[in-house]
Amino acid sequence: MKPFDTRLLTAVPAARRPVTALAVVAAAQGAAAIAVAVSLALFVAAVATQGDWRTRGVWLLAAFLVRALLAVAAERVAVSAGATVSSALRRGLLARWLSVPVDERPDPARASVLATEGASAVEPYAARYLPALVAAVVVPVLAVVALLFVDPWSALIVVLTLPLLPLFAALIGASTRDDTTRRWQALEQLAGHFGDVMRGLPTLVAYGRARRQVDVVRTVSERHRGATMRTLRLAFMSSAALELLATISVAIVAVVVGLRLSHGSMSLEAGLLAILLAPEAYWPIRRVGQEFHAAADGAQALDDFVRAGDGLGSVTAPEPSPTHRTSGWGVGLTAVTGPSGVGKTTLLDRLAGVRRTDRLPEVTAAADRLGISADLGSGAVHYVTQQPFLPDGSVTEVLTLGAGDVGPERQWEALRRVGLDGVVMALPDGFESRLGDDGFGLSAGQRTRLGLARALLSDAPVLLLDEPTAHLDGDAAALVHDLVVDLARTRRVIAATHSPQLAALADDHVRLGARVEVPA
Amino acid sequence: MTTLARGRTDLLAGLWGGLALSSGVALTATSGWLIVRAAERPVILTLLMAIVSVRAFGMARPFFRYLERLRSHDRALDDLARDRTDVYAALIPLTPARLGRRSRSAVLTGVVNDLTDVVESQVRVRVPVLAAALTLVFATVLAGALLPVAGGVIAVWALVTVALHRWGLGLERGAQPVVGAARAEVGRAADLVARHTAQLQAIGAEGEVLARLDRAQDDLARALRRQSRGRALVTGGVLGLTGIACVVMAALAVRSDLGAPVMALLVVVPAALADTLLPLADAARAQARAEEAQSRVDALLDQEPAVAAAREPSRTVHLGEIGTTDAHPGTSPTVQLGEIGTTDAHPGTSPTVQLGEFFTGETDPKASRAVQLGEIGTGVPHLRLAGVTAGWVDGRRDVGPVDLDLPPGRRVAVVGANGSGKSTLLAVLARALDPSAGRYLVDGTDATGLGLEEVRGLVAVVDDEPHLFAADVRANLVLAAPDADDTAILAALHVAGLDGWFATLPDGLDTGLGAGGRGVSGGERTRIALARAVLSGRPVILLDEPVAQLDHATATAVMRDVWSATEGRSVVLVSHRAEGLDGVDEVIDLTADSPTSASSAQLTAASTPKDRP
Repeated sequence: MKPFDTRLLTAVPAARRPVTALAVVAAAQGAAAIAVAVSLALFVAAVATQGDWRTRGVWLLAAFLVRALLAVAAERVAVSAGATVSSALRRGLLARWLSVPVDERPDPARASVLATEGASAVEPYAARYLPALVAAVVVPVLAVVALLFVDPWSALIVVLTLPLLPLFAALIGASTRDDTTRRWQALEQLAGHFGDVMRGLPTLVAYGRARRQVDVVRTVSERHRGATMRTLRLAFMSSAALELLATISVAIVAVVVGLRLSHGSMSLEAGLLAILLAPEAYWPIRRVGQEFHAAADGAQALDDFVRAGDGLGSVTAPEPSPTHRTSGWGVGLTAVTGPSGVGKTTLLDRLAGVRRTDRLPEVTAAADRLGISADLGSGAVHYVTQQPFLPDGSVTEVLTLGAGDVGPERQWEALRRVGLDGVVMALPDGFESRLGDDGFGLSAGQRTRLGLARALLSDAPVLLLDEPTAHLDGDAAALVHDLVVDLARTRRVIAATHSPQLAALADDHVRLGARVEVPA
Repeated sequence: MTTLARGRTDLLAGLWGGLALSSGVALTATSGWLIVRAAERPVILTLLMAIVSVRAFGMARPFFRYLERLRSHDRALDDLARDRTDVYAALIPLTPARLGRRSRSAVLTGVVNDLTDVVESQVRVRVPVLAAALTLVFATVLAGALLPVAGGVIAVWALVTVALHRWGLGLERGAQPVVGAARAEVGRAADLVARHTAQLQAIGAEGEVLARLDRAQDDLARALRRQSRGRALVTGGVLGLTGIACVVMAALAVRSDLGAPVMALLVVVPAALADTLLPLADAARAQARAEEAQSRVDALLDQEPAVAAAREPSRTVHLGEIGTTDAHPGTSPTVQLGEIGTTDAHPGTSPTVQLGEFFTGETDPKASRAVQLGEIGTGVPHLRLAGVTAGWVDGRRDVGPVDLDLPPGRRVAVVGANGSGKSTLLAVLARALDPSAGRYLVDGTDATGLGLEEVRGLVAVVDDEPHLFAADVRANLVLAAPDADDTAILAALHVAGLDGWFATLPDGLDTGLGAGGRGVSGGERTRIALARAVLSGRPVILLDEPVAQLDHATATAVMRDVWSATEGRSVVLVSHRAEGLDGVDEVIDLTADSPTSASSAQLTAASTPKDRP
């Protein structure tokens, strides 16, 4: 992991402003911390010498106030930056996936993990680690510069001892790396075990294996504790060593200052300034070390994003562009027939643009013959799949998904034409009734018809229908046949079907698998 | 009900933490004294004591902090181990019916995360708060000993700061559910797009789902900004108050007859204390999160089991009864997890494989009518449901009244709209749910009168989200039949149509699956679950939407293998899809004419499924 992955700024332009704001506030905060140290030293000196402590008290209050305000600002800016960066990454990636065919996307499970947990892991990276990083760069420099003015000798001691911190950290890291990696692997397995057994609990209960696992859970949890503690002991030890190193460094400054003070070769003010400024040089470096480990997940996720996105920032939401809405594909009904598994669905996938490559030359030839090539997101093609996608939501939401703003009259009309108006009207909440697990259920045939109603509401010049009458009985099938023929008067309709009746109504036929032997 | 290890604050960890923080305060205070005293140019010997103290405090701080972190993390991990074990045991009688009807895996993952959040409050809240409290007391006493009124200043300042933290905690508590809900909505919106990308492209809904994502993310950003008010208030407030405390302290000190070094000491004490109190801003958030997690876990565990037999006291877990691990021949029982990666006794076996040892061994006591090695047990039972109604929640009727006759070897498909009670029916047959009315008869005997495990041991369930454990292929299968040998496993894989897949595995039965192992496709996953069911030798197989997540071609192929694999057993298939319905003897449609009256579904035996030319 690099200290700062600059691809964050190149790949996600939206991140530039919040990250800049973050850096500015963190730097100002660092300066304020120096100001507090300086004003506190001067204040203590004034109190000790019975000088003008009131004026300096005002300065001290002002410094604390500025630091407090900057702390508030930093909190807000950090949170905004975290949210903006992770949101931009998530949106960029999802928008990109929506604009490419299935062949260029990771599998859904992996995609979901990256888009949900992955993007969230970047939040603390931006919100906590980046400010710490800025502080680690700015504050030590400011502290040393201030010390140069106050007391060059102390500055020299700090400059000489400061590099020891990262050096020590690197040495500890290098000498324990193999051990740590090995332990982490064991640790991850142990940590994962409980989640694994929990997710599999229904399976274990079903096979009467759950109770036996109670003991295993206990044993593994205990081993997890042991393994974690071994790893943590090392981490805490190195952290304590670094703290000790910083303390000793400050102590060297203090001893030298003390000796010179007691010889009279240094003023009290300068001595106090030196002793209060010196620690400021060390803590930001230790803090960034702590945040560094916490941010590792986020850095990894960021890396995954940039790889998966491949020019993430350039992707914008696919807006339907009217230029693509050509009706150059004519009207009429094309029936795609052939035995199961021959590639009818693959052909429709290709025509819709959701799949690019296939290994079926026959499908490629058929696609070329039909001559339909729409761009994804152009809105030129509406595709009713075999299991039309109905998200959880109200009837209206399901019906108008993808159709935009459609009034209730057109919705009723669409439902009437697929014969579902009676069903919806009978529902207690009508259009507002919810579908899905907690709402009312639909049979497979009703789902298909709802998908067709949605197709009616789209103004796409090309409609692709995959087995539109597969789950329908005679009457409903006849209704849908009429509907398809009707649609084919004004649009190009391509339907994959097993139904001889529907095929007989077609103006054009694509027969797949005619010469190919299909395994039963 | 299980109580988590809450409220157990570890005093020793708090004490170490208090000593570490106090050392820090003492370090700053004595340093201030030392510098001012040195400037008075005394005999160097008079400074010696202070110099030694500064050095001692400087070394004590990292030392005590190390002890504190070690101790608090060890205690927290101990709590975690205990809570995990208790919660796991408490969930067994609630599984599966009380885990929700869908996405049980997500519910269980939520419990895992919630437990971590709860236990983390030990490290992030209780120990730091105790340590800070001890330090405040120490600072008050120190300042009070030097100048009584100074002790008062520290005490007042401490009380105001505590009040500030309480206020911050209130803000965090208010924001926590809002942030949680906003995060969940972002997760849903992103998950929707990531999982259904092609379907959304097909209907041209790209713009709409992205707009939904945008709205969700804007809401989340707003919620996070609101949440940040708590931390902003505490951080800013503590810093501002510290400045005031320093000045007040100085004003009192200069009026006293104390020497300059002591005055310096008193003035720097509030500044040093601020460094100990600022990190507590994080504690409030951890506390709010832990409280929410705790209430979620409590709500889940606070349910009664859905099956009366599981409520009997005699059925509760007796840890002593659980037998020792019978390692499977071929896996070494001596392999310790801590050693993974150091020595590898079996070259070519990955660490994942050895986790398999956890899944071998004895079955739960009284579990099954010991069926041998994938052979169907003697006597396939005759199952009957007579006028059964059932509901997932007490007082609600999700299915029935239904009659179902399942003589040995019969295959029945249950179809119907979702919401018509298909899965509920299956849950009754699997003895995951008691019938609220009617009778469930096993070979003529009422099932509720038979032992719970006895009836459950008759049926194997294959559902639409079968879980693969992070273990090798063998362990993933033998969990269904502990005594099965490799021949039986290979036979089960064969009938489940996994020969082709098995041939591609690098290490055969030793190939690791699940998290960290080899990825499997949805069809393969379902087939592995089928192989498990076959291997179990249980005479009745219940298929709950087995192909719901698969595409048509795969679903058709899987169902073909299902029918050949379950030859000779009784099968009940629940599906809202047409694939595989051609293989059954009878189709039961639970859907009534109108979907709203699903609960009064009439039992109609439809002849054949439609549209299967």
